Parts: sequence; C-alpha cells; structure tokens
Amino acid sequence: MRSLHRHTAAATAVAAAVALVVSGCAGSGKAAQSAESASSGAAGSSPGSGASPAASGSGSASGASAGGVKQGGTLTIQGDSGNPTLVENFNPLVPTELGGTRLIYEPLAIASTVDGTFTQFLAASQKFTSPTTLEFTLRDGVKWSDGKPFSAADVTFTFDLLKKYPALDTTGVWTQLSKVESKGNIVTATFKAPNVPFESTVAQVPIVPEHLWSSGLPADPSKFANTKPVGTGPFTLSSFAPTSYTLTKNADYWNAANIAPSQVDYPAQSSNQSTNQLNVASGKFDWSYNFLPNVQQTYISRGANRSYWFPPGGTIGLFLNLTKEPYNDPNFRQGISHLLDRDTIAKKAVNGYLGAASTTGLILPNLEKWLDPSIPDKGMITQDAKKAGDYFAKAGYTMSGGQLTKDGKQADLTITLPNNYSDWVAAANEVKAELSAGGINVTLDEPSAAQYTTKIQSGNFDGAFGGFGGTGVPYNDFNNALNSSFAAPIGTATVNNFERFKSPETDAALASLAAATDEAAQQAATNKIQQQMFTQLPIIPLYYGGSWGLFQTTHFTGWPSAEDPYTLPTPYNQMSLLVVSRLKAVG
Amino acid sequence: MRYVTRKVVLFVLTFWAALTLNFALPRLMPGSPLDAALGNLQANGVQVTNAMRDAMAAQLGGAEGNWLSQYFSYLGNTLRLNFGTSFSFPTQTVSHTILQALPWTVCLVGVTTIIAFVLGTLLGVYAGWRRGTAADSTVTLGATLFSAFPPFWFGMLLLYVFAFKFQIFASQGGYSPGLTPNLSLSFLSDAVQHSILPAVTLTVTSLSGWVFGMRNNMINTLGEDYVTFAEANGLRSRTIALLYAARNAMLPNITAFGLSLGAVVGGSVLVEGIFGYPGLGNLLYIAVLNHDYPLMQALFLVITVSMLVTIFVVDLLYVRFDPRVRREVIA
Repeated sequence: MRSLHRHTAAATAVAAAVALVVSGCAGSGKAAQSAESASSGAAGSSPGSGASPAASGSGSASGASAGGVKQGGTLTIQGDSGNPTLVENFNPLVPTELGGTRLIYEPLAIASTVDGTFTQFLAASQKFTSPTTLEFTLRDGVKWSDGKPFSAADVTFTFDLLKKYPALDTTGVWTQLSKVESKGNIVTATFKAPNVPFESTVAQVPIVPEHLWSSGLPADPSKFANTKPVGTGPFTLSSFAPTSYTLTKNADYWNAANIAPSQVDYPAQSSNQSTNQLNVASGKFDWSYNFLPNVQQTYISRGANRSYWFPPGGTIGLFLNLTKEPYNDPNFRQGISHLLDRDTIAKKAVNGYLGAASTTGLILPNLEKWLDPSIPDKGMITQDAKKAGDYFAKAGYTMSGGQLTKDGKQADLTITLPNNYSDWVAAANEVKAELSAGGINVTLDEPSAAQYTTKIQSGNFDGAFGGFGGTGVPYNDFNNALNSSFAAPIGTATVNNFERFKSPETDAALASLAAATDEAAQQAATNKIQQQMFTQLPIIPLYYGGSWGLFQTTHFTGWPSAEDPYTLPTPYNQMSLLVVSRLKAVG
Repeated sequence: MRYVTRKVVLFVLTFWAALTLNFALPRLMPGSPLDAALGNLQANGVQVTNAMRDAMAAQLGGAEGNWLSQYFSYLGNTLRLNFGTSFSFPTQTVSHTILQALPWTVCLVGVTTIIAFVLGTLLGVYAGWRRGTAADSTVTLGATLFSAFPPFWFGMLLLYVFAFKFQIFASQGGYSPGLTPNLSLSFLSDAVQHSILPAVTLTVTSLSGWVFGMRNNMINTLGEDYVTFAEANGLRSRTIALLYAARNAMLPNITAFGLSLGAVVGGSVLVEGIFGYPGLGNLLYIAVLNHDYPLMQALFLVITVSMLVTIFVVDLLYVRFDPRVRREVIA
C-alpha cells in the first residue's frame, strides 16, 4: 500500500511548488510510454497451484544454465528513509529491516504481487500433496555467504524461530500452520485447515542460518540488528554508513551467472520529499519509487534512457460501517455507489495515472484472468442518478427539496481518512461534492494517521477511506477484506475486515477457494466472491492506488513494465529480489 | 543561605513538574504507538494484517501496569538516566539515538543562533545610532524583508537554486553518503559544506528579530539623560554609542539570547526536515509521528534541562552586565 502515501501532506505544499518549478524548466517531451497501456497478458500458473511456472524467468532458471546474462556495473536503488540517519538493521524477520536485506536473504519462493506467479528461490519446486500439506523440494548446492552449506534444517529452524517468538511472525504463518518438518531436502508444511492460497505467505518467509542464529540472539530477537548479515542471497553487505550502504555480489550465489549488477548502492532518502523528487528527476537512481505529477515532463524528458510504469497496486475504497444504520443496507450502499463519478475521483486523486476501480474487488488488469464473465462491464459502475434514486427508494429514502430523506431526516455520512494521504484527501473532497449533490449531508473527518488507524480498527466511524488488495492472490485480497472471522465487535480492534462484513455466503466461498487446488474450482469460488462484492458492496471500490516505478535503462534493462508485468515495481519489499534477478547489464 | 535553599527547592519543583508533563503530554496524543507503527508500516508498503498487528504488539511490548505504576517507573528510570529502547529505532537505545543527533543540532543551531545574535545586535546598534538616516532605512527595510521569509520557504528556495540548479552545495544530510562521522579534517570540511545552506537559512530568517529588538532599545536608551550628559561632556560618539547606549540597550537582548540558546537543542524541526539534517529536530518529528513515548520523553527532558541550565547561566551573566542586579544580590 505504499502507493497510497508517498506524497504526504507535510511535504505536499512545498512539493507542489517545486514540482511546478521542475515542470516549468522541462521541455515538453514526447511520450515514451503510456501508463494506461498496461496489458493483461501476464502468463503464469494460478496462484496456489504450487507448480514452478515455466514463465517465471531467471529466478527459476538453474544456476548452471549456460551463458547467463551480461554482468557488471553498479545498480543504484533509491533507499530507505534515512531520518535522521539510517539505522543498521539487517534482520530479515522484522518489518523495520533496511531494504537491502531482501537481496541478502532469500525465501523459498516469491509470488508476484501482480498476479501471484511464483519464482523459485531456495525451493526448486513446491506442491500441495493434499489441501493441508505443502511440500517444498529444496535446491541443491546452495551455500550461505560464509561458505557453510544450506540445508532443510535451516528452513525448519527459521519456522521454529517464528513460532517461538510471535513478535517475529509478522505474516502470521503460525496462525495457519500446525507444523513444519523436514526429511532430506524436502520440507513439509502442514496446515491446520486447508489454505492453498497461503502458499505464497509460507514460501516468502526469509530463511536465516541455523548455525549463526541458534545461539547468541538477544532475549527479544525482534530487536536484533544483525549488523553482519550472512544469507544465501545474490548479495552481501560490504559497507554501511548512516547515509548509505553498499552490497556486493555474492560470487558463490547459486544463480550468480544470471545476476547482472556487481554492486548495489542504497543511498538514504531525505526527510524532505521534494528533495527526493528532485533527486529522482536529476537521475541519481537506476530504480526509484515516487509519485511524480506530470511524469512525462518531470522525469522522462529530463534525461535519456528513462521509463516508468505505474500499475495499480491496490484498490482504494469507501468502507461503510456495516454495523450502523443505514450503511448496513446494501441498497443504500448501491445508491452511494451509483452517485459517484469514479473517473473524476481517480483524476483528482492520482492525476489520471490510474482509473476507476471495478466493484468486483479485483485489481484490473492485474487479475483480469479471474474476472467473472457474467458480471456486466467488468464490474465498472458509472454515475447514474436515476439508478441511485431507485436504490435509495428501496432503502426507504426519497428526495425532497434537494435532500435525501427518510422519515423527515436527511441521510448523513461522516467519512474518516488520515490527513496526510493527499491522494485520499483529494478523492474524499470529490466524493463529498458528488454525494452532497445527491442530497446526502457529508462531513469529512481528517485526523492524524495514528488516530485514523485507531478509529477504523475499533469500528468508531460511519464511513472511511481504506485500501485493500495488492497481494497478487485473489483469495488473500478478499479474505483480508471480507472474512467474517475478522469482524470483531465494535470497540475491539481489527485491521482486516474493519467494515465488519458478515456474510455466510462469502465465508463459504472463501473456504472453498482456500481448499481448491484445481483452477476450475478456484475460478468458481472466486466468481462467487466477486458476485457478493458486486451485489452486496461491503466495500465501495473507488479507484486504483498506484505503484510508482521509475527506471533508468542506462546501466540495466529488464525492469517490470506493461509489456512484461512480472511484478509490481516496488523496491521496498521482496519484489526487489525478483526484479534484481531479472536485470541485464547494458553495453 | 535561605536564598540558596529557596532556589534549590524551586528548581527541584520545576524539574519535577517538567518531568511529569513530559510523561503526560505524549500519552495525551490521540492514537496509540501500535496504531502509529501500523499506520507507518502501511505507509511504507507493508501489507498490514491482524497477524502483523499481533506481532507488532509483541514487539512494542505492552506497557506494564497502570498509568500510575508506569509513571513511577518512568521517574525512577529517568533519574538513573535509563531511557529504554525507542519504538522507532528498536535496535538502539534512546540514549544512543539522541547522542548521535545531539552534536549536529548543537553545532548547526547553536552556531547560527550566535551568529544571528552578534550580527543582528551589531546591525541594530548601528541602525539605532544612525536612526533616521539612509543606513537605518536600509537595515530596517532589509530586516523587514528577511523577517517576512518563512524559514521553510527560504530553505526550499536555497535548496532549489544552490543544490539543484547550480549544484554548489549538497541537497541533503549532514555529510556525504558513504562517510561515517569522525573527527578527521576531511570529514569536518565535508560536514561544514553540508551545513552552509541550513545555516544560512536559520541565520537569515532569525536575524531580523535581533535587529529590531536592538534598534528599538537603542533608540529608547539614546533618549536617556546619561546619554545627553555624555554628549554634553563631549565624549567621542563611538564611545557613547557602544559604552553608554549599547551596553544598556543590550540587556533585554541578552535575556532573549539566553532563552534562544536554551531552545537550541529543541532543534529546528522545519529547517532540519527540509535539509534532511541528522539532528534533534528531525528526531523529534519522528518521535511525535511514531508516538514514540520513550524517545519523546527523553528528548523533552534534554530540552527542559538545557533550558533550565541556560536560564541559570543567564541569571549569573546578568549580574556581570547589570550593576543594579549586583547590588540586589549583595543586599
């Protein structure tokens, strides 16, 4: 969900001012590529099928593959926020790790955040032998960067560590697993209940070396800084300074022939967002991640060999509190949905880089192959005051004197959102204008991000902006957003399903999707959930939040793009390992 | 002796009140550290789930006991200078984090405060002495203009012109990427190079306050009988300006100077933020953003203590500058 934030309010005013200066100085260049041209041609196996897909490229190519890619050169990635300075933290099991950690430690496999396609890393392959048994076959000949051999014991050790220290289990693998065992080079993860789509979460746990981590950890390993990281990954830490750090290529990496960069630099970001944007514009990074207004002028035309890709990375929606009248009435929600002009909302929020969101809850075009063909128009709802009026009438509301009223009282809605997410604020103002025109009395409540989190999680809101999806796996997107087991009573905090949707039909469809191992059954269950989304609208999808990948092709090519959408262009999570594994040196 | 006892009791009471406020204020902010951490992770692109919430709750460690017992353990820990681990930088102790940032702020904001005070006061003396002349108008007009520059705006302007357009100075940080702070000559010159833009911003935007204060005091003092007397005695005008007028006119400015020196360690949140300076201002911003109670408490303590100490020192200096106070202390 990084897509949601990168231009926060603190910097927005000044950022806008500088952006004007920047764009004012730039000539109007010719379009290098269009953000809208994202194709949906992502090939690959269904998420959860467990097979190692042929389509997944160099990551799954064997280390012995003949030739390899052209090598050499320094890759500069816009690094972590160094505010006031970078803090040494290469502990792969905590979320506050420095970004480079993900090129040092490998997981078993990584699922693309676009469509869930797997690329194999420490596991050569994996498959479900039953809906509750996931078997990983480990790669042979892998070594830790200190020369010790990697084995299945390291994998079980890592999982046991997460079990022993719940503070490390940030993805909740032990909420789903009952045990992880190994036999030879086979690691078997056993689930408490069928949960095939959870494969990606299990596969993406970074594996740490037992011989170094089995003793000498602090009492609370979540505070372990791991300043001398030893991993199996393609890079090792060569130097750290409070303003930047450098990784060098691990010559003994099992797939070294296919890793192009000989060095990766991570300079720290400034606390000043405008400085970061100007650094990006002046071409300091091969790969950066920034929302830039008018990217054609502010980035592409300011230097040679530049490209960008802004695919959707999540759905931004209006979440109504389903425990309150009248928001618990699907007809009322449909009425609201039909009052909205989503194209205008998207234009105001994300400069038109991304468009209106489908009410199926799927991120399009990323997950288009899962779309239920029986839903008209891909679930896109256009503004239609007449239809809205019909739905409101079913909910007992009528228009009188420009106000939508029931029993003489005007419908009202307070929408809560954090005051520093400037794209949400822009969208919310448009939503307010459109709903007000429809006769609803809308108030915007814009507290700080922390206070917003408290409010929505405890259920203390009428309506709220929120994001969902973006895992690449429809089940995970839907389950987090809709599963009634998360719907805590008002006053008890929940991150997932904070709108508190309770639908036996949806739960049943989620359960059958979790247990389905063949694609037909997965499609059938996914269709059912989409229909629930489309008719019940537990969340009213508005527009897609972007994933702001900016690239320079001077030194390396092979970046994710609309033509080759192998992952979202996010340098701040494990997708960086996927991308770096795909790069080719230029020249 | 009674005078000293009274001062000490007063100091202890003030200190206790400050400590209590430092404890209470962060906790009065709406939202919890856990919610701030989750919001932060989400903003940093991490998929936040209930599992993540549970893990983060375990990592932050729930506060033990009720507010009262937290309060007493906080008082005890503070007296032992044990500030614990910050939420924002879980791998470092709070003391380490603060000690890393402290020298940067003290050097940058301290030096610029002194420069602004000296320069501003001198300009004020000059303008006041030459009141009504073209020189006075120039100084006053210039100071008015600069005082209208908001520091963040002026900083952004300098940044754009000198760091991006002409690339004379670095755009961010206290030193070049890749360097580790040390006391070698090459590092120090690199650090000075990085500090020029923020220093100019801070100096220019705070100069006018000193100029106006000093000029007004000068004009008041120049109307006093003893100045007329000195003029009647035929003393040189520079002697009158500096020894008769400026020395007395400066007293209120010295108080203000003491207070602003005390405020130095609070850093300058906006200017440090704009230049990505590794100082306490940025740290304070992070602490507030993350609801980082341990870090906030310790930062507020540092600010409080330095404020109390400078007020004390200014009190002492006053005796030196103002004979009237000297007589009161003796009497």
